[in-house]
Amino acid sequence: MRSSVLPLTWHLVRSSGRRGLQSRLLAAVVAAVSAFVLLMMIAVSLGSGERADRTAWRTPQAAKHGTAIEALATTFVRHEPVTVVSLAQLPGRKATPAPPGLSTFPKRGEVYVSPALAELMRELPADQLADRLPKPESYGTIGAAGLAAPDELVAVVGRAPSDPAVSKAAEGGNWYDKDRTARAVVAGFSSTEPSLFTGLDQQMAVLGVALLVMPVIVLAAAAGRLGAARREQRLAALRLAGATPRQIMAMTAAEAAAVGGAGALTGALAYAVLLPALAEIPYGVGGWYTGQLWVGLPWFAAVVLAVTALITVSAVTMLRQVATSPLGVAQQANPRRTRMIRLVLFAAVLGYVLFTTQGGQLGARQLVALLALFYGAFWLFGPWVVDRLGRIVGRYARRPATLLAARRLSDDPSGAWRTVSGLVLAGFVAGFFSVSQLQFGGPEQQGQVAVLTADSAATRRAAAEARTLLREAGVTATVTVPSEDDFGSSLGGSPGLIARVSGGQAQIDTAMTVLTPLGAGRLPFTQDYTNASDDVALDRIGVVSTATLVMSFLVAAVSAGLTAAANVLDRRRVYGLLRLAGTPLKTLDRARARETALPLAVLAGGTTAMGVYGAFQFNKAADSTMNASGALQLAVCVAVGTLAMLTAIGASRPLLRKVTAEPTQTAD
Amino acid sequence: MSTVLAGHGLIKKYGATTALAGVDVEVGERDSLAIMGPSGSGKSTLLHTLAGVIRPDEGQVLLRGERSEMGVPPAEVPQPSAGGAPRGRIDNLGENRLSALRRKRFGFVFQFGQLLPELPAEENVALPLMLEGTPRKQAVARARRWFAPLGLDGLEKRRPGQLSGGQAQRVAIARALVVEPDVVFADEPTGALDQHTSTEVIQLLTAVTRESGAALVMVTHDADVAAHCGRILHVRDGRISSHSQYTVG
Repeated sequence: MRSSVLPLTWHLVRSSGRRGLQSRLLAAVVAAVSAFVLLMMIAVSLGSGERADRTAWRTPQAAKHGTAIEALATTFVRHEPVTVVSLAQLPGRKATPAPPGLSTFPKRGEVYVSPALAELMRELPADQLADRLPKPESYGTIGAAGLAAPDELVAVVGRAPSDPAVSKAAEGGNWYDKDRTARAVVAGFSSTEPSLFTGLDQQMAVLGVALLVMPVIVLAAAAGRLGAARREQRLAALRLAGATPRQIMAMTAAEAAAVGGAGALTGALAYAVLLPALAEIPYGVGGWYTGQLWVGLPWFAAVVLAVTALITVSAVTMLRQVATSPLGVAQQANPRRTRMIRLVLFAAVLGYVLFTTQGGQLGARQLVALLALFYGAFWLFGPWVVDRLGRIVGRYARRPATLLAARRLSDDPSGAWRTVSGLVLAGFVAGFFSVSQLQFGGPEQQGQVAVLTADSAATRRAAAEARTLLREAGVTATVTVPSEDDFGSSLGGSPGLIARVSGGQAQIDTAMTVLTPLGAGRLPFTQDYTNASDDVALDRIGVVSTATLVMSFLVAAVSAGLTAAANVLDRRRVYGLLRLAGTPLKTLDRARARETALPLAVLAGGTTAMGVYGAFQFNKAADSTMNASGALQLAVCVAVGTLAMLTAIGASRPLLRKVTAEPTQTAD
Repeated sequence: MSTVLAGHGLIKKYGATTALAGVDVEVGERDSLAIMGPSGSGKSTLLHTLAGVIRPDEGQVLLRGERSEMGVPPAEVPQPSAGGAPRGRIDNLGENRLSALRRKRFGFVFQFGQLLPELPAEENVALPLMLEGTPRKQAVARARRWFAPLGLDGLEKRRPGQLSGGQAQRVAIARALVVEPDVVFADEPTGALDQHTSTEVIQLLTAVTRESGAALVMVTHDADVAAHCGRILHVRDGRISSHSQYTVG
């Protein structure tokens, strides 16, 4: 026998009128937003990894039977890093393959630059940037295969094996050279070690994703609840007409899957269409090559299916009552009590997390796994807290609005938890990031340009020459030669000279450029170079924290607003009759706000404290101090988040007014 | 018997459909009035218009007519206007005043679904008092007094979902009466009940309402239920087609 479920579902969907269409459209929009955000998060994580992989060839990897010398150097212009890769084919050895982004191995004197570097070289005077590199007859261009991002500043220089830039002196070795300066005899470009400027990107992106994924899932689940009341009404009637629970479930699933699937697919397609625009959003080393943000078909399909499944499961779960009893929600006899086991499990997980983080040395994967565990535990614990809170407040409530809110909380703690869970978990994000803005100590070396030399004799000669070069270039600077046990200077105890430059960044860039020939294989450097790894970590944490916070609060506020709207529709009859009997709209509205504000105050406060603790552990692992201004930022975040949440709930007030205005608009 | 509630020349249209086509009705103290009629006749519209839920397009609704001892603040009952509009007119009050009036002077019983599922029975009954500012303890105590007369002893702590249909309707009656209203409006109060329970509930509703001194205005399609009221109005096509009067003990 042919199943009647699909045709009947389709018929009911078509005949459900404007309001039915609106709630489905809203659910589809939410599904689209969820799919879009999820795909973006996956894209950034995967894309960051791919970008890092594309920089690995620049790190020289020593080979037993090497054919060429590869030297990595890093210089800064306008505080932006420029990666310089020097290559020299060794005579009498096999030809070395071309590095990524180049069609051939560069010959001596050839200089290849990335498009962004070429543009910057055109923009800035030669004595601020171009003169740091050899002057070829013409510059070659490094292709995308050799670059992490279109905005990356990279140069590849072909040199003679005897060139100081590829000599032993170019090996680096000081603490500040790590991942910035290196040299080795190589046989190719198969290194897997990413550059300093991209190595942290993926870890930080994954951390951001781990913190964001739960609020997005909550949002998608909220979409499944939209229109539940209307479906309930319709399907309860079908139950009375003889439909079986299985048919009801199938009809609900079919409708929710169709709406969720259409929305998720639209969101996914929007992501695909908007890829070129999304690629313009900078992260780390700048914007993206569009292809880097394409997640691939398996991920694309997985996200569409996951969002669809989430919405479907959410919708079916909401209808369980109708399916089991034809009288549906009217028979809400026993409130679901939460058991103490939730508290026990939560305490156990919390204990485990605390114990595991005691050591302070955690990898990104461990951190993400612990976060997932923590979220899971909170998902169990949240409803238990809401239930207890409802009972306690219910016992002492004096005002009708508070009493209504408290009774609602203990009547459906899971539902109330769902409303606030997004912001509660966002509170954790806020707590975590606001105080984990790492601060590293270190000597202030503003305006210092350091030049490394071979020894003290060379330093003296270089100092005299430096003064002349700087004067000729019009740079006001004092050149000094720190003693070799002065570890406070930029040289960190190595032989060399320091030029203290007066004036702005242009003067410093000029000094670095004119002093380049004195470095004997090493490029002059500033504190941008010595602090690079700390600066990169700070920058990435700053970007990810800001993005995660903004997204979390937005997503949490939207899901709270949606849940509030769904609740109004679910309870429209009882609200309508209460209002008809004279209950002021204000009382109903206050009750709805308190229903959210009460658990929010308790739970968000708790998770924010947890976040602060997590950040403390993270900082401990990174051996850094806590950010003093973090507390203020945290307070602002919590205030803005709460305000956004209450505004989102307030947004459903017109809906409440509308559904309760005239509950009997019939001619009877 | 003095008039508590009166509707004069009530007209209400929904688009092209005329729900009320000039209805005049009066309800006296301790009066019980059943409004009957086929579906779409306008009986529920008439009840909701008298209760101040729906504004008539034309006509007036007066609560206690010219009398001033309504118990509601004077601001809620307009004084005679220059044009001579009567005192006690409620159909032209603002939404907030109307809400307050319904809360303080009227009680409502519906077919189903008027109880808050998460509140125990006693709190459902106490809610209108709490909305008026009565302290919770006092409100619950006053609410409990209604449980024994309505045969609800021992059910104070039960939630609506744990009550039978008849018990839930009796809780709804208690809630309607707890504010000591002038008029109780009932819209198909026994529509969801079996015949035996229906008879029990309607007997209680009419008896307790009369004892409390309130008038009862009830919409029903059931002639047996209507027979418990003192008067029956038959409504057809938005007009009163007949008016019967009984003597109810």
